[in-house]
Amino acid sequence: MKNFLLDYNLKVRIPILVFVVLTVFVITYYASYAERQGVGYMPPQPIAYSHKLHAGDLKIDCRYCHSDVEKSRQANIPSASVCMNCHTQARTDRPEIIKLTEYYNKGIPIEWKRVHRVPDFAYFNHSVHVNKGIDCSNCHGNVAEMEVVEQVKDFSMRACLDCHRNPQQTIKNISVGKEDLKINTGPTNCSACHR
Amino acid sequence: MLLREIQDRTIMDNKEIKTKENIIQSTSVDFKDNSPEAEKDINYWQSFRDLYNDPDFINEKRKEFAPGALDRPDENSISKLSRRKFLALLSASAAVAASGCSNFREKGEFIPYNKKPEEVTLGNPTYYASTCTGCSSACGILIKTMEGRPIKVDGNPDHPVSKGKVCAIAQASVMSLYDPERLKNPVERVNKTSPKEVSWAEIDDKIIGEIKKAASGNKEIAIVTHTINSPSRKKLLDEFKTTYPSAKVYSYELFNESARNSAWEKCYGSKVYPLIKWNDAKVILSLESDFLGTEGNKVETSRLYTENRDAFNGKEFNRLYAVEGNTTVTGMNADYRMILRTDAIEEFVMCLLNEFVSKQRVSAFASDSGISSKLSGNNLGAFAEKNNLSKQVIDHLVSDLKKNMGSSYISAGSMLPESTHIAVNLLNEVLGNTKLYVTNVSNVELIPLSTKAELESLVSGIRSGNTSVVIHFDSNPVYHLPTDSGYAEAIKNVPLVITITESENESAEVSNYVLPVNSMFESWGDFQTRNNFASLQQPVIAPLYNTRQKEEILLTWIKGTKDAFNNDIYHQYVMDNWKGTVLSKFTSEADFKKAWYGGLNDGVVSVSPVSAAGETSAVTFKPESFTTNNSKLTQSSDYVVILTKSSSLGDGRYANNGWLQELPKSVSRVAWDNFAAISVQTSKALDLKQDDIIKITTSGGSLDIPVFVQPGIAEGVVAVELGYGRSVCGIVGKDVGFNGNKLMTQNPALSSWMYNDAKISKTGDAYEIVTTQDHYAFDEPLYKDIQYRREIIQEGTYLGWKENSNFLEDRHTKYSEEEKAKLKVGSINKQYEHTGLKWGMVIDLNKCIGCNECVAACSVENNIPVVGKEQTKNHRAMQWMRIDRYYSGTPEAPKASFQPMLCQHCDFAPCENVCPVAATTHSADGINGMAYNRCVGTRYCSNNCPYKVRRFNYFNFRDHFREGIQQEESFSLMANPEVTVRSRGVMEKCTFCLQRIMDERQMAIQENRLPKGSNVKTACQEACNTNAISFGDQNDKSDNFYKLNNSSLGYSVLEEIKVKPNITYLAKLRNVYEMEKEEGHH
Repeated sequence: MKNFLLDYNLKVRIPILVFVVLTVFVITYYASYAERQGVGYMPPQPIAYSHKLHAGDLKIDCRYCHSDVEKSRQANIPSASVCMNCHTQARTDRPEIIKLTEYYNKGIPIEWKRVHRVPDFAYFNHSVHVNKGIDCSNCHGNVAEMEVVEQVKDFSMRACLDCHRNPQQTIKNISVGKEDLKINTGPTNCSACHR
Repeated sequence: MLLREIQDRTIMDNKEIKTKENIIQSTSVDFKDNSPEAEKDINYWQSFRDLYNDPDFINEKRKEFAPGALDRPDENSISKLSRRKFLALLSASAAVAASGCSNFREKGEFIPYNKKPEEVTLGNPTYYASTCTGCSSACGILIKTMEGRPIKVDGNPDHPVSKGKVCAIAQASVMSLYDPERLKNPVERVNKTSPKEVSWAEIDDKIIGEIKKAASGNKEIAIVTHTINSPSRKKLLDEFKTTYPSAKVYSYELFNESARNSAWEKCYGSKVYPLIKWNDAKVILSLESDFLGTEGNKVETSRLYTENRDAFNGKEFNRLYAVEGNTTVTGMNADYRMILRTDAIEEFVMCLLNEFVSKQRVSAFASDSGISSKLSGNNLGAFAEKNNLSKQVIDHLVSDLKKNMGSSYISAGSMLPESTHIAVNLLNEVLGNTKLYVTNVSNVELIPLSTKAELESLVSGIRSGNTSVVIHFDSNPVYHLPTDSGYAEAIKNVPLVITITESENESAEVSNYVLPVNSMFESWGDFQTRNNFASLQQPVIAPLYNTRQKEEILLTWIKGTKDAFNNDIYHQYVMDNWKGTVLSKFTSEADFKKAWYGGLNDGVVSVSPVSAAGETSAVTFKPESFTTNNSKLTQSSDYVVILTKSSSLGDGRYANNGWLQELPKSVSRVAWDNFAAISVQTSKALDLKQDDIIKITTSGGSLDIPVFVQPGIAEGVVAVELGYGRSVCGIVGKDVGFNGNKLMTQNPALSSWMYNDAKISKTGDAYEIVTTQDHYAFDEPLYKDIQYRREIIQEGTYLGWKENSNFLEDRHTKYSEEEKAKLKVGSINKQYEHTGLKWGMVIDLNKCIGCNECVAACSVENNIPVVGKEQTKNHRAMQWMRIDRYYSGTPEAPKASFQPMLCQHCDFAPCENVCPVAATTHSADGINGMAYNRCVGTRYCSNNCPYKVRRFNYFNFRDHFREGIQQEESFSLMANPEVTVRSRGVMEKCTFCLQRIMDERQMAIQENRLPKGSNVKTACQEACNTNAISFGDQNDKSDNFYKLNNSSLGYSVLEEIKVKPNITYLAKLRNVYEMEKEEGHH
């Protein structure tokens, strides 16, 4: 190989290649960060349930259906029987309600698509947060305006820690009736979430 | 690392402190060092290798990991493509292929209930009261269920006997429920061989026909079962007998109280041995009686016993004397333990009787010439001399018994023959100890166990062809009954054998039909073990497989048609039975329902005591029972073989439960096997060492079994645990250990569990026994000097402590002022001020009896895998908690100290400093946490842990044990969802049950208050039968925990290295007159 060519490869082509690869990587990394964290994930659900209609227009409290959210680590997905509290009477002629009634009568559980998820090794506790007055919308966005639920916030450990360190700045919405609770910084030790 | 160096330097600087003169000068302890090796303080040792300073052992202790732990896996065994592995690979590749095409954002589904049960709050546990059927004690349990899955069993606090505690068998019972090897469908074994699955309807049809034929032909239908402690089951069996008049019920137990009860009947005329007020006994003499370990209802007994072992509850300590040949848990907890061949115990009792009755003329029996003439010739002094018993201890015993007449109790072991029990009854009578017999409450025997004659007639009936149907009603007589009973042979000729069982066993192997039954979590039932209450059992999960409850099966047969079955049939039956009996006072249906649901909620219903037939309230001793008592027990020149109960496996029913198999035995610390325990003297005489196989021959049969040289066992005594050596069992328990039942005989000269005509001989073969006794031994080469007085175990005498409650503090007088100042050198770390909540634990060594229940509970609570014998041998057992057993004294007659050892959650945790990825860190409330997802498995932390309590996942043990049986789907239901299931390559350790602390935090926030220490109970604390473990907030001065934590008996292990552990041990106080002089070892 000619000296000139070797020189050219070493001094020009390789640096350019490295630069291009790095730039592409960095740009893709940051551009796709939100998507990789699941932001914008909006799976179609087996029944086209509208949070906008129920929580927004009809102003049903989140806790009517997600009834365990104050009592337990998990905010439960309501069982079909909860829907049927109203829908034995209400709008029984609509196709989606007919679908629901069928599920209910046959005793088949509805397989809702999961929208939000923290990894199994992190033990997030809904009740602890909700009882401290942290409104659902701080993490889940304004579900009351969503026709189909989507993830709007980052659910990474970074997001958890941002809030735990600076709750005063990061927590925008306080639940109604819990305004006078003092917002403390959250625990930041590992064992608070990992066990 | 710097911290370590500075600490080390502090210690090195103090090197000169150690001189023989000032080694230990505590107030009540006086030891002399007369051998060069006896430099260690008080001479504690864990195994012979430790005692004799085996260079290998010393080397092992100094290494980072025990040699076995670093062994490479056997690659041949790994590469073998088992069926499970093949399927796993197949599905994994399919999963990979599928994931390539699927949406990476896909997060799976939520599957909520269709109709949610009212009592369930997702994520919060629901508790149900029920009754344990692990043995015939029928303890009350609370079953913790998560989303309908039972995941943990603890005691029911409302239960009058067990009072919120259960044994290890109940703790581990969830593993039996989810055992993937449970029988899933009824099986017909054509010609008792080729098994094929059939439907219940088909089986019911065939069997009902056969039974009807047998009944009409007047051929016997034999039902063989265990103790019947359930009134409804008794009624059911009675109905069966009415419907099919040729039916007969036989019940047996491998371990029973037949000798004790028949002696009682001879002495007092009533059937049932009374309950004992153990908590009122000031002096207890245990004669080969393991009442803290395996005899009677040990959950209750150990609790009552340790009521008088609490230094801070205002009660005086009791004093426990043990005279035994074996090394039982009870003996190892005794204040004075005398070693005596088991077959000399009766003579010892006679000597004691002679001493009190004839010499000291205690009680009215002194003037009964019939008694005193029988006693003559038994001289206590001569006996003591002959058998090498310490005269001093004998004197103490005699004077203590005399001083505490009416408040002492002599307990004879169940294995001792009737004649000994009669003598002991008289001795208790002489000393006025009948005051300790409970009079208002007694045990209830619904149907007495079959006598020897009845069992013989069962076999002869089979042989003569008179019996045409045998039903094994959840029993396993082929394994349990002695070989010479001929049962196993005879059963082959019975035309119809039906085995009703949860999982495969030896009796199922010889049956025509094997019918799978529900586990105790899937069953209805009622129990009555005492005359003042009855308890209920309710199902907490629908049957996992195509099984039926055993009572349902019989009930269907009673009704005579397969259509009679429905899965509510026995529930109705029990309810109807209660309507007429326990709850008969509730006449209206509504009242009854209320009472019934109340009973189910509480688990127990009290009933007004009805004294059993033939029982009078005031029992009087019949002296003729003693005078006509023909003692058969005299010391022989052969070996004595004693067959004992395994504290974890019971009678072998739980052989397939890995958690129980892996639980080390309290004294020997052997896991996964049984063995013949022999004494040091015997081992020398026969030139035997651990693992050598010997042949034991008794009048019942012979058995080849490896030996374990057990310090403290009497010369000439060979102890074998039963319940092992199951030949037909699941993959976990098959051929684990050796079947000691082979040594039993139908007609024993003494008792079924004791043979003094045994011969033993060396076979020349060997078998490896795994003991964990010297696993994780403490040794830090850099603390070489300090280790001589490292004071891991600290103890004193009760009397000494009463004189000077600060004796532990004062022991520091061994340090000069200058040295003390040096020891005060602080840490280079800044002390973090734990101002708020700070968790801590106190373990009271006075109450800890070393029973292992905490270890079992911890394994269940924290999803700890079973690793198997091989890996246990390699020091890789995963139990987060271990009970260290230290011997002190000579190998022939050691004393024992038990010490639960778990993560100490040190304030200056050495593990945290060395973790390169900060996977183990401290929290503000004093917990040393582990973030598994962060751990990369360097094992530096484990290397740096002075307490050796960190456990590393060398494998994915769930996959690595017995063809990956723990990976089966059913076992995934067993996991506690609040604790991560760890996999290969991460370090783990005790978390102080962080999940329970977090529950309390959740409750506190819900109720808008601060978390309270006393609201958290760790799994080990909850399980501890004797309440030796307390847990709480170290800064909460209002709590009782604070007092314990700062009490005069408190010390922390390896205080000198200044890592500031958060576990405080309360020093053991032996209730002896003076510490025995250390004899120094050879």
